[in-house]
Formats: sequence, structure tokens, C-alpha cells
Amino acid sequence: MSERPAPLRVVVLGGGTAGWMSASSLAKLLGPLVTVTLVESEDIGIVGVGEATLPHIRGFVERLGIDEAAFMQATHATYKLGIDFRDFGKIGDSYVHPFGTFGEEAAGVPFHHYWLELQRQGRVEPLGHYSLAVEAALAGKFRPPTTEGLTSTYGYAYQFDATLFGPFLREHGKSLGVERIEGKVVEVRQDPESGDVTALVLESGQELAGDLFLDCSGFRSLLLGQTLSEEWEDWSHWLPTDRAAALPCSHVTDEFLPLTSAIAMPAGWRWRIPLQHRMGNGYVFSSRFLSEDEACAAILGAVDGEPLADPRVLRFRAGRRKASWQKNVIAVGLSSGFLEPLESTSIYLSQMAITYLIELFPLDGRIDPRDREEFNRLVDMEYDRVRDFLILHFHATTRDDSEFWNHVRTMAVPDTLAEKLALWREAGRIEKYSDGLFYDASWIAVYLGQGVWPERHDARAQLPDPAQVQRAMAGLRQAIVSEIAAMPGHREFLTANAQRLAAAP
Amino acid sequence: MSEARALPQRIVVAGDGPLGVLTAIALRRALPRTEAIVLAIPPDPAAFAERFGTALPFTNRLHDRLGIEEEDLVRQAGASHRLVMRYFGGAGPDWQGAAGYGAAIDPAMKTAFAREWGGGPRNAETAAPPRSLGEVLAAAGRFAPPSGEADAPLAEVDYALRWNVPAYRAHLIGIAQELGVSHERGRATAVRPDGAGGIAALAIEGSGELAADLFIDCSGSGAFLLSALPGTNWVDWRPRFPTSCLAIAAPGPPMVSLEDRATWTPLGWRWEIAGRDGRQALLGVAAGASDEAIAAALGAEPATIVPFAAGRAEASWIGNVIALGTAAAELEPLGGIAQDLAHRQLALLLELLPGRTVDAAERAEFNRRAGLMADRAADWVAAHYAGPAPTSQFPALELSSELFRALDQFTRRGRVPFFEDAPMLVQEFSALLLAIGIPSREGALARAGEQGGEQAARAFGARANTALRAAPPYGEWMNRLLAN
Repeated sequence: MSERPAPLRVVVLGGGTAGWMSASSLAKLLGPLVTVTLVESEDIGIVGVGEATLPHIRGFVERLGIDEAAFMQATHATYKLGIDFRDFGKIGDSYVHPFGTFGEEAAGVPFHHYWLELQRQGRVEPLGHYSLAVEAALAGKFRPPTTEGLTSTYGYAYQFDATLFGPFLREHGKSLGVERIEGKVVEVRQDPESGDVTALVLESGQELAGDLFLDCSGFRSLLLGQTLSEEWEDWSHWLPTDRAAALPCSHVTDEFLPLTSAIAMPAGWRWRIPLQHRMGNGYVFSSRFLSEDEACAAILGAVDGEPLADPRVLRFRAGRRKASWQKNVIAVGLSSGFLEPLESTSIYLSQMAITYLIELFPLDGRIDPRDREEFNRLVDMEYDRVRDFLILHFHATTRDDSEFWNHVRTMAVPDTLAEKLALWREAGRIEKYSDGLFYDASWIAVYLGQGVWPERHDARAQLPDPAQVQRAMAGLRQAIVSEIAAMPGHREFLTANAQRLAAAP
Repeated sequence: MSEARALPQRIVVAGDGPLGVLTAIALRRALPRTEAIVLAIPPDPAAFAERFGTALPFTNRLHDRLGIEEEDLVRQAGASHRLVMRYFGGAGPDWQGAAGYGAAIDPAMKTAFAREWGGGPRNAETAAPPRSLGEVLAAAGRFAPPSGEADAPLAEVDYALRWNVPAYRAHLIGIAQELGVSHERGRATAVRPDGAGGIAALAIEGSGELAADLFIDCSGSGAFLLSALPGTNWVDWRPRFPTSCLAIAAPGPPMVSLEDRATWTPLGWRWEIAGRDGRQALLGVAAGASDEAIAAALGAEPATIVPFAAGRAEASWIGNVIALGTAAAELEPLGGIAQDLAHRQLALLLELLPGRTVDAAERAEFNRRAGLMADRAADWVAAHYAGPAPTSQFPALELSSELFRALDQFTRRGRVPFFEDAPMLVQEFSALLLAIGIPSREGALARAGEQGGEQAARAFGARANTALRAAPPYGEWMNRLLAN
């Protein structure tokens, strides 16, 4: 038997969401193989992006051994069944992109082809009426899904206060053995030959030596971007929003939807995210088309409730580092890349990078360049696929009421997206992949929700008797209506367990 | 507003072997108002995608979907069940290992990490020894097909079928006739192009022209229709494999068994397929082998030796012609993979079924995915030659970048990466690599002891006992079914 090698010294730079997600995960899952030290400074604020999440986060919370109710209480979380998009395809349009499906396939032909066929004949209701997730979300109802039948056709995520998620994970991470060090990094030491980072020097003079450095320093990208000068691939020509004016406000009604809203605006869009005690709002805009002051004024004018603070402007740009893992530095979160928050992908992208890092974690104290390449391949693929899906939301529009919308409507899109669009437009089909984030139902929701109609659909959709298909669809619709009638309200379900509820501020 | 596409009026399937008939059944089921004509083509000895009566578990699902009952195949086509492939000699003369099917052959549930945790849904660390219920049942000779109930003791056991090819074909023809598929026995003598890169009609000896909207090429290695079109390119896989022909022994005595065997010989892999109508032995043969060496490695005088050239059509759908099976890809049929690939590509055609006219974007999507399927099937066969014994014999074979990555990840850290449209689950691929003796080290998660290995082993033991109690001796089950 060989001796177990000394644990790998992992130093995490940054105590925001990505930093504490990374530190707690490594400590929990790789326990004896690592020591984890996280350095953060109270003087450096955290962005706290990602008030809305995707269903993947549930697995993350569970795997870390965190109780869901405790997590919801600590982060003032509510449930989320999807995103309500308004005014994107054109002003007045709205649709929900659900964490769920639309109908069921029949005879090997996906549901939406039958729906398109009946729609042509004027025999069908809007697509969302055939999705339990969409209808429950709009009705303000919630109950966790089951494993079989109609009630298994959706998933859920959370809407939470992202500035509370990091601190919550901090306590959890510390209990798992993560060492937290307060301090500001003033110097990064590198091995003169390999260029590997060897230590972080803090303002106090303390040196933190390590084998592996996780750069969770946010947009500064202190290690990957500044120290290692990893090239930035800029995507702002496709995703031109680069600012957000965030503004929390009070709730105006007792009920709140299990639904994030994304409402298109003249120079971007604004979010509305209901948390337990407040409504999160923010105007995501492009500074090419709108000034920060104008954006702050616009968001103040748009919110329903009482503002609880002054608008806070966040700055960002869309793109990613060419490689997220370079030498012995792995960037997780904003230091690696950023895609605008329209589909709540920020926390997912951190989680995904952590997952792959654990799968490809250095063995026997050495980084193998093949593992690094594999990590970068997987991370790039995830970013690229999310990117294309986001671009679609802006590009698929007929809006010509502002320079911003004129730009995104007429811009050239990546070839990978152009091919997907051609397949949809010509044949009503979705390009198939299994890795990555958004699958058929998501693409269909956005295409049809934003008025991108295929020219033709599957020939087989005309084979069954239309009256029979109409009856089957009506049956599904009725089952959804009955199910929703029996579901508790979102607030009712949330408050039924007091352990989920945060004390009122 | 979206319009439904016009339905194809007529589809011609070139090739009346099992694949052609199955394709016609699939098309008639999908398009009951469309005429389906199967055109006779002389049987091709190198049509490995249909010549041998076995495939992989995917085929069971396809059969099910097309209304081809497994029980009927057992009653009428000599079908029997394979739970595992047992490999001999992969890492030396005494080496043996078995590989089963399905996601449940990953006893420590290592894949649960990625699956439950998001990100890389199908990547997995799979370093544990293959322990599958299939292996336990095969060793005990006990099995009955699972009832279909979700929590039944045998529900997680996946399997492949073997069958008697002429009886299977006859059974399929019976179904095709019921569905109104017609059979054109005349010989096709010429192809009339449609001016758009495809085919307008075929000239049939003695009966004039046969026009159609779509032509499906199931003609075997000659790719009778596809090869008639301009723009057909062939991707050469030969540098990846040592074998260039297949030696086939005369059928042996009947054999009922839940496992098939593959044995490494100096010439290539010998594959023995148990069958109720006779055991079949095949040998992939490297170039330059003498007759004596072939007979010694095969364990019998070969009845035939069939040359083949491993490779695939760069695009298996050109114009309005879609090639399936050996017409689209030629590879050694080891373990049923060639027929599995043909059936996957047929299922892909059903998914992207065109209307009366072909859509270019849809055709491109078919070619993209069919190409991925074929490439990963080739990787599966090539992996068989990547074990210790084969590589010492044939050290200079090329590897695709994907297979290189998979082998590298597996040997260093017990991880099999997920590949889009791969025919095998990562668990199945991992089980194969272990069974042929490719050594594997543990990844970080396993080393951190996160998986609870002992607990998983105990749980597996309990499941295995339950399964053994629930399963009758296989021969008894078979006799009972046939007696009723």
C-alpha cells in the first residue's frame, strides 16, 4: 500500500457566490484529498448576481448536505417555475419559458408539430396552455413535481437574494473545514519557470502558498485575466447589454408568482424577481444606447412597489476567457466569463465548472495537461451553447422602435445559431444535443413565443383525424386545469413550512 | 403560419434483406398513406449490418415501437437473450471479463454524481469492476424477460437478442405484407437522376420505370443507389483496424446460453454467438493471414471469408437518397454493433422523416448525427483493439481523437467522457474497457471515498439475490414459452 499523498492545497480567491460554491464543494466532495483556503476581503463588495436560478441548483444544495428549508430561509428564497418574457418578439407579446415540457410526443412526432397543424386550422389554444409548468406559474400555484405522470413534467428552481447565498455557504463551508482568511491580495507570486501561481501575498504580509488556485475574483479576474493574461473572447457584438441598474422594492400584493419576469425595454430588458420580503428589479441595458442615469430613472419609473434603496449600477461585458483553466489557475464564475442574466445562467455556469473540475481534479498532486484541455473543452461548449440561446432572445424580434432593437434584430448571428434557426424555419425541428443546458422545450418556447414560425412542420402531423387530435389536446388541457385547481398557491405552499421563512426585515 | 409538408407518395427501399424489410415496416407505420416498395437486390455477403442475427438493446426498443413482438421472435425466429459478452484473452491468455448492458451496470452508481448534480449530465467516473445483474444471472443460467413493471426484480436488466436470420426475415416479411408493403423482384438496371442531386426513378428490367419521392438504400456494401450519385465520398477507417476480412465458420450445434464470447486470437477477435439453431463463429482477420492460421484461430475451417473495407459515407443522405446499414457504414460486426448502428440510423430517419420534398437543413442535420453515430460505433469496435493483447500485436493503429480521449481519461482516472449520439452508454463503454483488460485508475471522487463502496456492494448483493430468486432457469423458461 502506498501512502496517501499529501492533500492538494487549494486556494480560492474571492468570497462571492462562485468562491463559496467552489470552496464548499471541494471540501465536501474531495475532503481528504484537499485543504481549502478561501481569501476574501470585507472591503471588496460582491456582485451577487443570479437572483434567479435554474433547477440544477437543487442537486447542488442537496449534494452539499444542505437542508432545503434552511437554505430557503437563509436566502429568502421563493420557488421558480420559469421565466415570463414580455415584449421581446414584439411589444405586447408574452410567453413563459417553463422548467417543463409542452404536451407529449405521439407516434414518434413531437407535440409541437401537432400543435402547429391544429393552429393552422384554428383549432387550438396557445402553446403554453399545454404545459403544466406554464399554467401553474401564471396561476401562482406551486407544488413539487412527482416522478410519474402529468405532475412529473416540470422542475423547479429558486428565486433568492444572491447576496445572502455566499454568506450562507460561507458558514456551511467553514463547517466543512474551509479555512477563511480575511485580507486583500497585493501580489501574486509565480514560479519563474513554469509561470504557475505559487502564492498570494496579502496586505498584511501573509503569504498563502498553494498548489491549485481558484480565481473567483469576479470581473477583475485577478489571477486568470490579470496575472496570466488569458485572452478574452468578446461577445458584446452579439450580446450588447453591458450594464444593469438594480433596484429592490417592496411587494405590492400578498401573492407573488413562482415566476421570474423579463420585460423588454428600449435599450435592453428588466427583471422582476419576487423574493420572500421584496421584489428584485433591474434594468439590463446597453450603454451604447442608454446612459446610466437614464437607466436608473427608467427602472425607478418602472417598478410597482416602494423602492427600498437607490438604484445600483453593475457593469459587465459578455464573453469568456479563451481558456478557463490555465496553468494551475481555474476561473469559476465571472472571472471566467459572463453571459447576461436573461436566462438566469450565471450560477449554473459556476456550478457546471465546479462539477467538471471535480471530475477532472488533479491526481497525485499533478495537473495533467490533458485534464486541463478536457475541462476547457467542456466549459467552452457549455458557454457557447448558452450564448446561442441567449442571442436568439434578442435577435428573434420584429421590434424596430429603438436603436438597440434595430441593432440586435439585424446583426449577424454565430453560424452555430444560424444553422439551428434554418433547421427550425425550414422544418420545425430542433438541433439535438444532450450535453449543455437548454433542450427542445426551451428552444420551442422561445421560437414560438417570439414569433419565429417554421414555414413547414412534419408531414405526419396531418395523418390523424384533426378532431381526434383536438379532443386529445382538450383532454390534456382539462387535466392541466384540474391539476392546477388542486395545487396550493405559491405563498400558501411556501408558508406552510415555517422553517422555509426568513424573519421579516 | 406553418404548413404541414406534403406526404411522400411513394418510397422505394432498395434491398430486401432484413434491414430493407424492417425499414419498409417502419415507413409504412409512420406514413400509412405512402406506398412503400421493397426492391429485390441480390444478397450481399458483406452486409454485416444484417447478415448476422443479433444486435444490441436499442433494437429491442425499435422492434417494440414498430410492433415487432419479442415473444413472436422467440416463438417464430429462434430468438434468445444475451445478457453479457464475455471477453477472453484481452490482457493475456488467462484474462477474462464480462460486459453487460444498460445504465444499471454501474454498481457504485458513480454516474449519479454528474446526473444529479447538473453540468455534464452524462459524463461519469466509472472505475468500479463491472458488476451487473446480467452477469450474475448469466453465470447462474437464470433469466426471464422482465415484465415491464418498474420495480420488478429483473427490471434493471437490459439485454440483446439473437435470432435466426432467415426466420427473422420471413417474420418481418409477414408483417410488411400485412401493412401493404409491396415487393419489386425485377432487377434495377439504371438510375435516372432528378436534376437536383438525387434520383427520379429506377429502370426495372421488364417493368419499366419505378419513380419515387424518396429512395432508401439498404443494398449493402455496394451502396447501389448512393454510389450512383455525384458527390459521394467515403471516409476511410482502415488505418484504425487491423482486420480486412471476416472468416465465418459453418454453424455449430444448437446452444442456449445467456452469454456470448469473444476471444482474442493472433489474427483478431473471434466471436461466438450462441443460437437455438446453431452456434455461429466469426473471426475478424488481419491482412496476410494464412489459411492454416485462420482455421486455427477460428477453431474450424471457414465456410466463407468475406473481405470488407472499414469506412463510412461522408454523407449518407444525398439528394433524396438515404443510405442505411452497410450502404452507409462498413465495420466489423463485433458484438452486434453493425446492426445496432443500422437500426439507430433508421430511428434517426424516423425522427427527421422528410415530406414529399427534402429539406436541406433537415438533411444536413441527419448527416451530422448519422455521422456521429457511425464514428462512435467505429470507436466502439476500435476500442476492442486498444486492449493490452491487441495493441502488442497491432501497435500502429490510428485512434480517433474521441477514442484517444476516452482511453486516456479511462486509464488515468476511470472516467469515460460522454459523446453526442454515441451508441453506448458511458457505463457500457466503461464495462467493455474493463472486460477487455484495459487497466483503469480511480478518479478524485472515488479516491476521496465519497461513493460509499461497501454500502453499494451490499446493496448490489441483495439485489442480485432477489433477482436470482425471481428468475427461472433460462432453458425452463424457454421451454415453457414454446410449449404454450
